[in-house]
Amino acid sequence: MTMERLFSGLMALVCFGLIYLAYGYTAPIAYDPIGPRPYPILIFSLLALGTLVVTFRPAQFTKIIDLGFNKAIIRNLILCVIALLVYGMFFESLGFPVATTLMSFAVGLLFDGKPVKTFIFSVIISIALFILFDLFLDVKLPLGLLSGIVG
Amino acid sequence: MDTFDFLMHGFSVATTPQNLLIAFIGAFLGTIVGMLPGLGPINGVAILLPFAYALGLPPESALILLAAVYLGCEYGGRISAILINVPGDAGAIMTTLDGYPLARQGKAGIALSLSAVSSFVGATIATIGVVLFAPILAKWAVSFGPAEYFVLMVFAITCLGGLVGDQPVKTGISALIGLGLATVGVDAVTGIYRFTFDSVNLSDGIQFTTIVIGFFSVSEILILLERTTTGHKVVEQGKRSLLNFKEFTFSLGAMLRSGLMGFVVGILPGAGATIASAMTYASERKIAGDTGTFGEGDLRGVASPEAANNASACGSFVPMLTLGVPGSGTTAVMMGALTLYNITPGPQLFTQQPDIVWGLIASLFICNVILLVLNIPLVGLFAKLLNVPSYVLIPSIAAVSFVGVYSINSTTFDLVFMVALGVFGYFLRKLNFPLSALILGYVLGELMESNLRRALSISQGELSILWSSPITIALWLLAILMVFMPIIRSIYRKRYKKTAV
Repeated sequence: MTMERLFSGLMALVCFGLIYLAYGYTAPIAYDPIGPRPYPILIFSLLALGTLVVTFRPAQFTKIIDLGFNKAIIRNLILCVIALLVYGMFFESLGFPVATTLMSFAVGLLFDGKPVKTFIFSVIISIALFILFDLFLDVKLPLGLLSGIVG
Repeated sequence: MDTFDFLMHGFSVATTPQNLLIAFIGAFLGTIVGMLPGLGPINGVAILLPFAYALGLPPESALILLAAVYLGCEYGGRISAILINVPGDAGAIMTTLDGYPLARQGKAGIALSLSAVSSFVGATIATIGVVLFAPILAKWAVSFGPAEYFVLMVFAITCLGGLVGDQPVKTGISALIGLGLATVGVDAVTGIYRFTFDSVNLSDGIQFTTIVIGFFSVSEILILLERTTTGHKVVEQGKRSLLNFKEFTFSLGAMLRSGLMGFVVGILPGAGATIASAMTYASERKIAGDTGTFGEGDLRGVASPEAANNASACGSFVPMLTLGVPGSGTTAVMMGALTLYNITPGPQLFTQQPDIVWGLIASLFICNVILLVLNIPLVGLFAKLLNVPSYVLIPSIAAVSFVGVYSINSTTFDLVFMVALGVFGYFLRKLNFPLSALILGYVLGELMESNLRRALSISQGELSILWSSPITIALWLLAILMVFMPIIRSIYRKRYKKTAV
């Protein structure tokens, strides 16, 4: 069972779920001859078909994909995704400067940064980007924790 | 007014001080983004798109900014290709083949300036092509009805299957995922909520920026994380940093041929810079025959892919502006930008929004000049940026991406959803599902459904309207041809191998 087959199989299952959902989409009044239901069903049926082909096709039609995973890479990937997820979730409550410093520090360490240097650059990045976006480009960013202290 | 007057009008739009400044900033940023390995034009355009919108730039300025970034990326990709043997973006893969050997011979400066000139030549040829062909195509496309549009989009998607990636099934799956994602949200005709899972955040559909930045920026960070350990050494530029006249005339033929070919390939939906540069490199090598030193540092081997990838970038504007069907992943993102402004690209754009269309076309000329001027003297400065360590660069990219998504709706939901899409996109990329097809599918999705339903409303549910006009029949035939394209190509390749033996 290769990763490719597993992944496609999962996508096919999701498609079946979505097709089932789409069956419920009927309009109370028919505004146009086909309504909201057939198009999504068509798309997801084709998608289910395609993913099933990839899941079950004979091995001679597949190309071996070298994922290049090892334990260290997988660990780093998971940590990076967690760092980004946490960043997204606390973007508003912690505020941009604090959240960005933390995220930059975490991601910077994953990208082989030395702790002290990475920390200094994290602070610089978050302040520089905050000034650039909030003050110069007029993109309003949340201040979060700092909202009482700064501006 | 004829084309020339329109073009002059376009220049008057593009040369306002604000738009010139925007073109300059875009070209500069684009060169940097294109140069950095891993970040290509789609990433650059995707990250800048929300800011163009949030800044309240008028649509023509926003489009000029994005076009400048796009062209800048095609210029920038060659710098890292030549100096560190790593293509800055996909279009520059072929440039490494001869660019890096030249750099090793101490001719990096010549290779850089020659490739800048050929980029300029290629892009200029293609922009002239846009001026000549786009209005004609637009005039013809006005007669398209919803049925023709629907089939045209089917053709665009099969084109992708025939030309992008090595496995058509996977390209098809990518495009269908994009089409599927586009069905999320309230149905415009009946007001029924589809696949929203009772979430308010999804009722308006998935935000375009969330999709693009998630799929490209977040997944890119994860991909880059895998290769942190590999260090690059920047090659010195050598004594002479400008090409001489003899070197220019030596590669001029290759530039002109590749520019033309790149333009034609760029017009085809889906086939972008990567295919154009690979095709022209191969054909130039064949033309040069035994006299060439391709692969060991032939000047034409640098000139042809660079002319071609810039030409195809400009050419891909033709289908976007005239038909509303993007010619490349990057123009798909730009089309999404137009829809943020409630402007639907298509043949009507030429008559209804001449400022946008001709301002954009004129700015292509201007950006090219800016890029040429910027690239020859400043190449040393750009090369220095290759030394910025990734622990500074990557967090900055992540932060800018999050700000971009946040600036549209200011919700935490979008940020978390973006990361989720990024992880999904990462797996798709690792398993060779081309993401450019996904974006094209997403951009075309809504238009495709509404055109299909409009066509069937006209015919009162009669499906035969989809193949009743000559245009639709021709497009179906082309679509079928494209489906069989991979098979035709493999047969051709086998035969070619046999004769070669």
